[in-house]
Amino acid sequence: MIGLRDSVAGRIVLAILSLLVLLFLALPIVLIAVTSFGSDALGSFPPESWTLGWYQQVFADDSKWPAALLLSAMVAAMTTVFSVALGMTAAIALVRSDLPLRSAVYGLVLAPLVIPQVVIALGMFLLFEPASMLGSPIAIALGHTVLAAPIAVMIIMATLKGIDERLEDAAASMGAGRLTIARRITFPMAAPGVVAAAVFSFITSFDEFFISQFLSSVDTTTLPVQVFNVLQYDVDPSVTAVAALLIAVAVLALAVVGVVRKLGSDKQSGLLPVETGISTGGETR
Amino acid sequence: MAAPVLAPAEPAVATAPGSGPGGLRRRLSGRRTRFGLLNATPVVVYLLVLFIYPIFSTLLLSVEGEDGGFTLHWYADALQGTNLDILLATLRISAETSLLSLVIGFLLAYWITRLRPLWAGLVMLVVVVPHFISALVRTYGWIILLGDHGLVNEALVGLHVPGAPFQLLYNEIGVVIGTTSVMLPYTVLLLYAVMRGVDRGLIAAAASLGAGRLVTFRRVYLPLVAPGLVNASVLCFILCLGYYVTPALMGGPKQTMVAALIEEQVMKNNQWNGASAHGVILLLLTFAGLLLLQLFKKAGEARRNRGAA
Repeated sequence: MIGLRDSVAGRIVLAILSLLVLLFLALPIVLIAVTSFGSDALGSFPPESWTLGWYQQVFADDSKWPAALLLSAMVAAMTTVFSVALGMTAAIALVRSDLPLRSAVYGLVLAPLVIPQVVIALGMFLLFEPASMLGSPIAIALGHTVLAAPIAVMIIMATLKGIDERLEDAAASMGAGRLTIARRITFPMAAPGVVAAAVFSFITSFDEFFISQFLSSVDTTTLPVQVFNVLQYDVDPSVTAVAALLIAVAVLALAVVGVVRKLGSDKQSGLLPVETGISTGGETR
Repeated sequence: MAAPVLAPAEPAVATAPGSGPGGLRRRLSGRRTRFGLLNATPVVVYLLVLFIYPIFSTLLLSVEGEDGGFTLHWYADALQGTNLDILLATLRISAETSLLSLVIGFLLAYWITRLRPLWAGLVMLVVVVPHFISALVRTYGWIILLGDHGLVNEALVGLHVPGAPFQLLYNEIGVVIGTTSVMLPYTVLLLYAVMRGVDRGLIAAAASLGAGRLVTFRRVYLPLVAPGLVNASVLCFILCLGYYVTPALMGGPKQTMVAALIEEQVMKNNQWNGASAHGVILLLLTFAGLLLLQLFKKAGEARRNRGAA
């Protein structure tokens, strides 16, 4: 049983069990990353010998991976643009205005996160199939935006809430117009949040499988759909290297967000030395 | 947030809307309303067209007969025979997954609340990073780990566990392990948020009044975090209901879930009406779960109010 007051034995047992749970979370990912460099990509751990051969296979001339990678990157880029545009306007409306039916709008924006993805994917299919848009990168990106936009809205909302509105008022009192304020004050301060929203939108789309599966056609498959097909139907050991690349992209994305946030909070605390404790406290996660 | 601390002198713009009469302020609020409507329009239109309308057409399709008239027989189909088995398997696997996530997520989240900030941050990183890595990739990792000659079975054989190696793939054990691993970060984050808010003073008070460890846990700590536990497990359950990737790759025929059935009906059998009916059933189950959470929340608030009065 978990001791609420500290007893040494209880603490040790809790720590061991918790470390096992952490292992449970991390092991599959570490395993993929390591085996992708092993000579036997589907098997023994740790690998008996090391190779970069699987990565070479992924990018070989007759490989089907580069096309899928390119499509996924293109779809993710479009999704990022759509989602950040929607996210910025929606966040401004929700945080910086007197919006009638505010909670209804907020509920609508968050709804895609709790509705089963299969239902969203099915609806998308019913929408795009009659328009014969299956396999179109735009259709897939429009679909992914439904999942990515709520995340972008939440991130940008949190950022806007962390910005002191009095800075904008001060600029206005000194004669700055609305556009100037947006360009010179609000946007620079919201930039880290917008970058984070963009990165998360990109990764949401890049990793998204189910909507892509419904909206793909035989000759246009995104990277996750291709990975799924390989895992389900034919065994191609280079899939391990692709999976490792997906891990690398996600980790890189998180690193970018981390760095931008750090830079942003430094900048903000430089601007408002009096308030550092308050303004950064509201933002950190 | 910071406004009341430093600028009590100019509340006109920073404070909440509608906080008083005055021509200027009303005009300002009118402009702010128009500004809000203008900015809210893109996202609302987008979601109405690409999210609400498609779901609505799913709804219509699920009650449309072959002749175009109203029928409920797609629902009758969905609720009998193999289809019913699949629905029940979905509910069963979702329940098993959310229970397992709750138990081990509770353990981990509790441990994190007891760690020093630096360590807690590092451990949270191990929880959060997997959350952003494709579920497909994590599932593939488990497929390698749980194979007959995978790391898990090798370790069990090495430890001379009787009966090893076990069949851990293409059955329910594999599906529940894989799905739990995918859902766990989410559960841990929800639980941690609640547990961090527990007032340690209450625990100390219980202890100082002579309550034993078990009593303190059962009578003080559990009631304090119970709303969070309910929240986390119901949300996890809802997310599992429509989940596809892990059960499809790690399960056998008995672990077919509704999402896989819908996929098959649409992609292979061109049976859109039946697929829509299944989709609507998932949707209704989701709403039921969310409603349950609302009711729990209301009940909790009512109890607290009574306690205060």
